[in-house]
Amino acid sequence: MAFPLPRGITPSEIGFLAEMEMVTVVPRQRLEGLELLGGPIEPLVPPRRASLPLWLALLLKRQRRANIMPPSWLHPEPLNLILEVESQHPDYRDAFSPPPPLPGQPSIRDDGLAPTARPQYTPDGNRYYASPPFLPQNTAQTEGFSSRDPPALPFHWVEMGNMLLESASDDLVEPDQIRRLLKDLREVRLAKMRAGTDVLDAAATGGGGVALTGVGAMEVGEERGFLTGVVDNLRKIGASKEQARREQMAEQRANGGYDGAQDEEEEDYMEF
Amino acid sequence: MSYYDIDSILTDAQKLPCTFELEVPGLGILEGNPGEDIKPGTRIDLPLWLGEMLSIGARLGTSRLVTLDMPSALSERVMNALKADPRTVDLRSLAPHFYSLGERILELFEEEELVDVLMETFKKRAAEVSDQAHNPRGAVGDGVDFLRGLDETERQLFRAAHDRAKEMRVWSGEAKRK
Repeated sequence: MAFPLPRGITPSEIGFLAEMEMVTVVPRQRLEGLELLGGPIEPLVPPRRASLPLWLALLLKRQRRANIMPPSWLHPEPLNLILEVESQHPDYRDAFSPPPPLPGQPSIRDDGLAPTARPQYTPDGNRYYASPPFLPQNTAQTEGFSSRDPPALPFHWVEMGNMLLESASDDLVEPDQIRRLLKDLREVRLAKMRAGTDVLDAAATGGGGVALTGVGAMEVGEERGFLTGVVDNLRKIGASKEQARREQMAEQRANGGYDGAQDEEEEDYMEF
Repeated sequence: MSYYDIDSILTDAQKLPCTFELEVPGLGILEGNPGEDIKPGTRIDLPLWLGEMLSIGARLGTSRLVTLDMPSALSERVMNALKADPRTVDLRSLAPHFYSLGERILELFEEEELVDVLMETFKKRAAEVSDQAHNPRGAVGDGVDFLRGLDETERQLFRAAHDRAKEMRVWSGEAKRK
């Protein structure tokens, strides 16, 4: 391989992507509205809260021009709750805690409700449905989510937690406890990821799948090399078996699985 | 597997026990007697690529030159050991490219059971490899015997997992960048 970096993206690249997430800040100084490539931002007027991309918020925070309001999930209580669900809830013994619901998606509590997707409109008037990277999941009060929704980890939770702990720990409630909880959560989820290796062969050969719902960007990035390696090799080892299975299927088909002329024979056979 | 893949070349070079079916004049050099003929029934270890070529006559309808046997790395004894506990077997001493050899052999022989045993082994050992790779103390301590017994495929897997875990630690500031 000529390219020296491993496949996939590196942690710092994932962190860079996470810096696009919107966070809520409380400005300390006035700032004119800015026309950024990612869209205009509102003018900052001191006591009023505003939503800014994380990178800008961190910049202003370092210059002491703003305080960051921690996202609603980045508090000790919600994290404790998620950790409890993740480690003790029987339904989530092998699964990851669910991601935050999409707008219009029924929450877990009112089960059976049909999802009613609420479209949003671009400045040009085109309809679109927002999906995770473009949803404000890290602002202090996330609009569109009812407060009854259980806390959930957003897609960029590792990066978000890490960067806020690093540069804005004085804005967080009990940063040390948050740090400990995030570490515990990571370990619990890594252990689940590892336990998932056992079911990977189904994904590699039988056309099965492994559920990775709720897994964060950083976790995917970390496990990518290993998981793809395992699946790849399982597929190679099982290649001859797969070949045999295909040949068998082709034979069945040739013997009239879908052939109209032989349908009667098939049916007779089925009756035994 | 690409043409220049060094691992696939090395896999091709692994020895396979072959039994000659015909007399071959002048090929005694393989047996260590240059200039002599090879008698039918002689057993010699040939590299995989050569054995494969010589045995291919059977598929073309002519009588084949050699018959292939299972390499010792995939023998019944090893399979039983793998069934008992995959983690304690030193695959590296059996064959440095154990799984690749297995794949090639499975192309030549039809062995349903071998596939199952190999898949189960790989899965069990991959989980262990991942555990060891995330061990922040590195490849020291209890895991050292297990890690020494990894074959090349597993080593690559270990490296992938280990590097990623390390990059993560560096990024999050838990470990110093070297």
